[in-house]
This record gives sequence, structure tokens and C-alpha cells, in this order.
Amino acid sequence: MAPHKDTFFRSAEMSLTQLYIANEIGREVVSALGELGVMDFRDLNSETTAFQRTFTQEIRRLDNVERQLRYFHAQMDKAAIPMRSIYEFNNTFAAPTASEIDELSERAGSLENRIASLNESYETLKKREVDLTEWRWVLREAGGFFDRARGQTDEIRHSVDDDDAPLLRDVEQPTLSGDAQGEASFSVMNIGFVAGVIPRERMPSFERILWRTLRGNLYMNQSEIPEPIINPETNEEISKNVFVIFAHGKEIIAKIRKISESLGADLYNVDENSELRRDQIHEVNSRLSDLESVLRNTKTTLDAELTAIGRSLAAWMVIVKKEKAVYETMNKLSYDHARKTLIAEAWCPTSGLGLIKSTLQDVNDRAGLSVPTIVNQVRTTKTPPTYVKTNRFTLAFQTIIDAYGTAKYTEVNPGLPTIVTFPFLFAVMFGDFGHGLIMTLAACAMIFFERKLLRSKLDELFSMAFYGRYIMLMMGIFSIYTGLIYCDAFSKELAIFPSMWKWPTDFEVGDSVQATRVEGYTYPFGLDWGWHDTENDLLFSNSYKMKLSILLGWAHMTCSLVLSFVNARHFKKPIDIWANFVPGMIFFQSIFGYLVFAIVYKWTIDWYAIGQAPPGLLNMLIYMFLSPGTIEAPLYRGQGTVQVILILLAVICVPIMLFLKPFYERWEHNRARALGYRGIGESTRVSALDDDDDEEGQTLNGGRDSYGDDDEGVAMITQDIDQGEHEEFEFSEAMIHQVIHTIEFCLNCVSHTASYLRLWALSLAHQQLSIVLWDMTLNTAFSMTGAKGVFATVCLFYLWFTLTVFVLCIMEGTSAMLHSLRLHWVEAMSKHFIGDGIPFQPFSFKILLEEEPIE
Amino acid sequence: WSLLVGILVVIAFCVASYFLAPKGEDQLVWRSSLMISATACYLMWAITFLAQWHPLIVPQRNDLRPEYLQDKML
Repeated sequence: MAPHKDTFFRSAEMSLTQLYIANEIGREVVSALGELGVMDFRDLNSETTAFQRTFTQEIRRLDNVERQLRYFHAQMDKAAIPMRSIYEFNNTFAAPTASEIDELSERAGSLENRIASLNESYETLKKREVDLTEWRWVLREAGGFFDRARGQTDEIRHSVDDDDAPLLRDVEQPTLSGDAQGEASFSVMNIGFVAGVIPRERMPSFERILWRTLRGNLYMNQSEIPEPIINPETNEEISKNVFVIFAHGKEIIAKIRKISESLGADLYNVDENSELRRDQIHEVNSRLSDLESVLRNTKTTLDAELTAIGRSLAAWMVIVKKEKAVYETMNKLSYDHARKTLIAEAWCPTSGLGLIKSTLQDVNDRAGLSVPTIVNQVRTTKTPPTYVKTNRFTLAFQTIIDAYGTAKYTEVNPGLPTIVTFPFLFAVMFGDFGHGLIMTLAACAMIFFERKLLRSKLDELFSMAFYGRYIMLMMGIFSIYTGLIYCDAFSKELAIFPSMWKWPTDFEVGDSVQATRVEGYTYPFGLDWGWHDTENDLLFSNSYKMKLSILLGWAHMTCSLVLSFVNARHFKKPIDIWANFVPGMIFFQSIFGYLVFAIVYKWTIDWYAIGQAPPGLLNMLIYMFLSPGTIEAPLYRGQGTVQVILILLAVICVPIMLFLKPFYERWEHNRARALGYRGIGESTRVSALDDDDDEEGQTLNGGRDSYGDDDEGVAMITQDIDQGEHEEFEFSEAMIHQVIHTIEFCLNCVSHTASYLRLWALSLAHQQLSIVLWDMTLNTAFSMTGAKGVFATVCLFYLWFTLTVFVLCIMEGTSAMLHSLRLHWVEAMSKHFIGDGIPFQPFSFKILLEEEPIE
Repeated sequence: WSLLVGILVVIAFCVASYFLAPKGEDQLVWRSSLMISATACYLMWAITFLAQWHPLIVPQRNDLRPEYLQDKML
């Protein structure tokens, strides 16, 4: 443990840093720090609202630019123009200067205007085009009606004269045609008409309404337009109908117009005269073709413009996003009007201070400013945030821990042992050589194509697996190992070494046969494959796996308990060692450590050789509590005494755990009171203030105008410290806390040990499931013969393989992973994890862009 | 006593990994991972070995055929 190096073992040492930045280069400094991404800025203006802050104006302007860029993006999506991917830019988007930003926002503004006007004209043109097409259809269709209707006018007139026959009867009755009446006949009859277009789905209601309001005094003709018409505003296709309505009298015509308009129909002028109509059609056609060429031109300009934008849109988006983040961060700084400086407070890893200082120096040199940016370290009683430095490999493991809770500042990071124990416990449940191999290969593939996959968009499930690719790799490797130990490969045995069991050679088929042991030989690695497919295979492997899981659980929990010792050492709380760790350890070991000892001891004795019945360990443990001292089936000599001593030890430890800590705390508190301290917070605050002043005095020798200003800055810090955390000691609270802790610990020792039995249960389930799968698919195929057998083998192999991957690897793997997760969160971390840390959230462009990716 | 040999091998491995772990920022991660994995693997192997050292039951099956045994022997 090197003291000045940040490792994965503890969270990094942090220091609260104060920056005095000259106003002119504030933006550059903050953006340089954003590139660095190691500082967690504290909000110094938390009492002011978002609108009252210094840089709200700038943020608004950038918001506007961002909106414009999004508008471009939406337009490009609409026109299906691809955007140049962010990864094709080779520069790393160095922080732009202020003038560049101004230029960008101006350009975005003018481009927006241009595109908007282009769009608008395009849309109006499109609308005109649609109108004209509809009109053309109306003309064409209505012409047909008129030609047909001409023959009917005579009849109609008769019926009109009759006046009692409904007009619509004519529609149903085909009438004689060919009677050449003039076109003027309609006007003679005082029959007007309305022609237009209406969406098809409105047609029935339109008809019904017309019929009801006019009481049948109309003659209606309609036909469908074969091709759908595109609405330019919404880009939807609507199929429409052309209708022509003939009716009698001006008022009725007006009524029809009103109804049709209210139902969303478009009405068009159609002339009765066929010649005029032909002219109209001609005109409409020529206008349409004109419009089309204009439209095409507009479209190409628009597309060209958008393509030009698309080439740099991604870069602009990144720039604007960074710029916005910079101003948002600057809003957190406090501005000193008298000295024209910005004061920032930020947490940063102590090891990163040198880097920060040199970066600031660079920025200063570039800006050519004589006033340097001053970096101070402030001592404070506030808890620093927890920052664990991760890399690609450790990131996923750390995420497992962080999902449970943020570790306390400089607490032992449970992520370190988790790197091994998590995949290992997983593998104990997932132990199968073949499945482990599949998993390893998948993880290797993901790691190999890492770069490519990082850039492409992944769906949710796959991206989760991708995120945990290194966990998967470890899980796969350990599964291969445990598979070898369990002697399972896709549920078949792996015969590496000769078996320690020999089958007798003479027996009747169908007889139950017992194997005999090869003398003096124990199968050297893993489970003997001789157990495979035997009748009492489960009997043996159950007893083995159950004991295995208890032993592993005991080892895991003991290690976790030891971590709590390391924590207590680190936080310099000897009382935690003597009142929590030592009695807890004794309690745990005297019960479960003893059980583990008994298990191992029982294995080492050849019970048949000494002619004794092997004792049941479960009963031994139960009777150890029920009737201490009396042994029914002795394991070794002097067992009774040992057990009595162990139980006494365990029982003694409980009151020690219960009472020692609260009473010690009370004694310490009373002593402090007697010495005259009121509270702990006050004294430290004073010292912090003093230190701060001294340091500033050294660094700010020349450049200070008045002392009063400086006081302001310090006062601001001390205010924050005032809110800091020191609580009054209360004995009852401490007592309750300790009682809960003790009861929890003692009960959890039992329940957690039992909880590790899930290792046994899941590995058993996994093994049995893969055996069943094998028997159901491939085994049946092998039993067939001939061509049918070949065919069945091929088919069932695919079935078996897909089921193996999906059910056994993915489904079972997920469940084993969840159980392993639980074993870590509940069983192991409850032994030492303190938690209640504050996560470190550095201001970093990289994180920012990862959170809100740009296509 | 293969168990003791196993312990010695694992201890040797741990010591080796302690000193031979790649230098740099992640030295601690390498060291601890290698050592814990070695220990975990050894534990598992040792438990399995112990469990079979003096087995209380012997394998038993009733679907044996002479041909099967011949296969195994060869």
C-alpha cells in the first residue's frame, strides 16, 4: 500500500481545491479542465435561482443555437441526408475560442433562416401542386359525370316537373341516353352543382349528412381517385374521392358548399361547358409542369444546403454541447466584482493536482495573461466524494459495487476481491466445461471487436452483455475450471485420468453392480468420471457440493470480515476492532469455523478402516446447542469439552459486541465534555479558517488590494463548512444502533451460511438440466440407425445447440449471475461495507458526451 | 500428500505473481486477482480431492453390459 498512489484498493485521496481565475480567461480555464475531467465543481451559488446567475445569458444563446442545430438535424432526417459520423472527425475538438462560438451561432442563425425559407417555399409549392392535381382529377372525373348526365337531364326535368318523385331514384334506374341536349340545360332547369375532393373515409358521413339536411333534394356522383394524394404538411398519404353534387336552387347549393367545407372537402371550379373544361385541363396541366420544375429546383438547393450542413453538423453539436456545459459550470463559480476574478471550489484527486496546475499554466500562457490562476488547497471537515479510478477491465466490476452503494471515502473497495470472487462463485454454480467455453469465446469476440462495437448502436440486452464483457471473460474462464473439477462438458464426462473405480467383470445383465476401488489411488483432479451415469451419482455429488458450498461460503465470509478489520485500522477506530471485529470473528469461527473443521476432519478419516460409523455432521451441530457436552456419535476424542468451550466463547462474545462500543463511546464523550469542548465541529472550523488565511497570504502576496474582499471569500467557505456534518452524541441512539448490529450479525451468520447453499442448488440444477437436454435431443438421435439416424442427428444437433446456448448459457447464466450478485451484496458486503459515500462527479466533456451521444 | 504439494505450488504461484505482476497503475489489481484466483481454485480442487479421499459410498449401476466395459478397458 503505497501512501501516495491511488489504487483500486481504496478510493482516491481527494482534496478540496480553490481556484482564483482571472475573469478574462474563465471560459478557457473551465473548458481546459473539462477536457481534463478530474474536477468536481461545487455549487457556490446554490441559494440563487437559475435565472439570477451570471452566465444565464450565454446559456440561453447556446440553447438557441442548439435548437437550430436540432432543427437542421430534423430536416436532414426528413430529407434522408446522412450526417457525417462523429468518429470521422480526426481532430479532438479543441476548445473553441469565443469568437469562433460567435461565428458559429451567427452562421447557425443565418442558415436556419435560409433553410426555413427554403422549406416554407417548398411546402407552399407542394401545397399548390397538390391543389392542382386535385383540381385535375376533379375536372377529369366531373367531365365524365357531365357526359353521362347529359343524357339524363331530360328525364330529370320530367321528374322535377313531377315533383313528387325523389331525385335519387334516377340513379338507381338506368335511363335512356343519347338525347342531345345542350349544356345550358342545367341552368335552364336552375340546377347548380358543386364539385370537389374529399377524403375517402369521410365519404359515408358526408353522404348521410347531405341526405338528411337536404331531405334528398340532390343528385350526387362520386368516384375514387386511384392514386393516393400526399399531404405536404404531414407527409401522409390520403386516398380521396371526387364528388359532384347537383342540386336545385341557390340556397341549397350554398348549404352544400358549407357542409362540404366543414367536412374538410376541397371545392374546385368546374365549367359545364366541355370546351371550357378542356381549356381548364390544359391550363392546369401546364401549370403543374411549371410547378414541378420549380419544385425540383427548390429541392435540389435544399438538399445541397443540408448536405453542406451535414458535413460539419456533428462537430458543431459537440462544440455547442461543450460550450453549454462550460457556462453551466461557470454558473457554479462565485464572481468577485471588486477583483474581477472567478472563485471556484472543486474536489479533485490529490494525485491529479500537478496535472491541473500545469494545464492551468498552459492556458495562462496561451492567453498571455500576467495574472496567474491560483490553485489553493483548502482543508475542510466535509466528506470528500468517493472516486475509484477504473480502467476498461475494472469498470464493470466497480459498477457492480456502486450499484449497491457508494463506498465511504477511502474505505476498502470491495470491488478488488470482487474481480475474482464474483466470477468464481458464478462458476461454481455454472460449472460446465462446454458452457464455459462458449461463454469465454463470446467474451473474447466482444473484446476483440471492442472498438467497432463501441461505436455502433447496440440494443439494450446486448449492450448490457457488452458492458460486462470482461466479467463474462472471467466467468467463462472460471466456468471452464469448475467444469473440469465437476468433470462435466455439456453434461458428458471428461476422462482425463484413469478412474479410481473398477467395475467387476462377471455379472448378469440388469443386476445392480457395485464398483470397487483401485487400492491406494485417489482421482487426482476433480470429480471422478466413474460416477457418471451411476445410480447413486446424485447421492455422492449432493453431499460433495453441499459441503463445497459451505466451505466456500465460510472462506468468502471470513475474508469479508477481515476487510472490516482493515477498515477499522484505516479509520483509526480501535474500538471497532475490539468491540465489533474480534468478538464477531470469534462468534463466527466458534460455530461455523468449527463446522468447517469437522467437515474436513471427517473427510480425512477412513471410517471403514477404523471400523466406526461416520457421524452425521448436521446432528452434531444441532446437538452441540441442544445438549452441549454430550456426544452421541463421536468424531474425535475430547469432542465434548471442545464443543462446550466453543459455545461458551460464542455466548460470551454476544454481550461484548452488544455493550462495549456504546459504553466506550459514552465514556469518550463524557471525557471530552469534561475537558471543556462543546462540539467537535467548532474547533475544526476555526483551524480551517486559519489555514486558509495563511495559505492565501503566502500565495497572494502582491496581487491583493484589500483584506476585506478576502474575508468574504473565506467566509463563504466557512458557511459551507457550517452546514457540515457533526452530530450530537446520544447514548440511546448509539445503543439502539449497536443492538441492531449485534442481532443482525448473529442471525446473519446463520442465515448467510445457509444462503451459500444456493451454490449447491444452482450447480445441481444446471447439471441436471444439461443432462436432461442431452437425453431429450442428441441421445435419442444416436439411438436411431441408418439414414433416419443421420437426418435426426443433424436436426437434433441444431436444436440441442440452440437450446444449449439460449437456455443453458444465457438463461441459466443470468440466474447464476444474479445469485452470485446477491452473495456479494448481501452475504459478503454486509460484513464490512460502510457505504454512505458521495459519488465523485467530475466535470468532464468525455462523460458528458457519453451520456448524451451524438449519433 | 498431494494436498501439501498443492499448497506449496499455490504459495509459489502467489509469491511469483506478487513480484512478477505487470508494473504500473494496475499492479495491485493484477497481484490481488492472480492471488485470489489461485487460492480459490486451489480451495476447490482440495475440497474435491478431500471428498474423494475416503469415500463413504461406491458407485453403483444396473445398466452395465459387458461391451461397455470392454470399451472402457481399451
